[in-house]
Amino acid sequence: MIQPQTHLNVADNSGARELMCIRVIGASNRRYAHIGDVIVAVIKEAVPNTPLERSEVIRAVIVRTRKELKRDNGMIIRYDDNAAVVIDQEGNPKGTRIFGAIARELRQLNFTKIVSLAPEVL
Amino acid sequence: MWATLRSRYLHLSAKRLPSSSLTNGSWKLGFSGLNQTFSSSTVERRSNELLSLQEVEKVLSDVRADDVAVVPVGNQCDWADFMVIATGRSQWHVKNIAQALIYKVKQKQKGAKRMVLPSVQGQETGKWIVIDSGRVIVHALDEKARAYYNLENLWTAKPAQKEPVEIPDDRRWSGSASLSNW
Repeated sequence: MIQPQTHLNVADNSGARELMCIRVIGASNRRYAHIGDVIVAVIKEAVPNTPLERSEVIRAVIVRTRKELKRDNGMIIRYDDNAAVVIDQEGNPKGTRIFGAIARELRQLNFTKIVSLAPEVL
Repeated sequence: MWATLRSRYLHLSAKRLPSSSLTNGSWKLGFSGLNQTFSSSTVERRSNELLSLQEVEKVLSDVRADDVAVVPVGNQCDWADFMVIATGRSQWHVKNIAQALIYKVKQKQKGAKRMVLPSVQGQETGKWIVIDSGRVIVHALDEKARAYYNLENLWTAKPAQKEPVEIPDDRRWSGSASLSNW
């Protein structure tokens, strides 16, 4: 459950370290974003000397949430952090590698690019 | 419903292991087994109907994609068997590669009542197009994107990368998820 003002970790090597959600993309009055949703975020903290800078506005896909994810077969997945991957307008990831485990729902939601860069798919 | 399911399961297991599984495999239909057979049959059907590796290679050589690399990834991840990576000379060429593959799928299913098409991502710009046809994933990239993302290296050098190389300390455990199966 990501909403505006939520801080997220960054799960890729794009150069951003921490994001803050400022808008959930989807409907006009959408409250929360879950795994696989696109948000507009601002970079709160960045690695020095990388293309992305602090206070830049970017798009990101949520890949991990503390709020549990339920599957139809009864499996429940809950991560220890909220994390997102920085993407551009076309859906290509900004970074080239992704860290940590990723849910396979992202593939169904047409983020196969992110899934194919990830080290582990749950 | 039961009969069709059972016959499908029989058919499947017969196809996979022609001799042995007929006796021990077909009567294990509990309720838990039912779900599994159903999902496995859908996977099987999809991979049968959509592109196979040979067809992908043929199409890629027909449209003259450069530098085609086939990486078997079945032992590293469970969601795909083969990654096919190809380079296009321009963004138009990359889009054409994707179009050719989609055309091939359509040709293959000509006359079918419902066509099943692979999911295609990134078709608007043509920098990196992924054609996700079940067990075979085709990546068509332009030269810049291929050098930037370096997918081959990622998938071939995976066992060596398992050590925590460049993941910062505070984030090493962030990927650990708690799985609970009810």
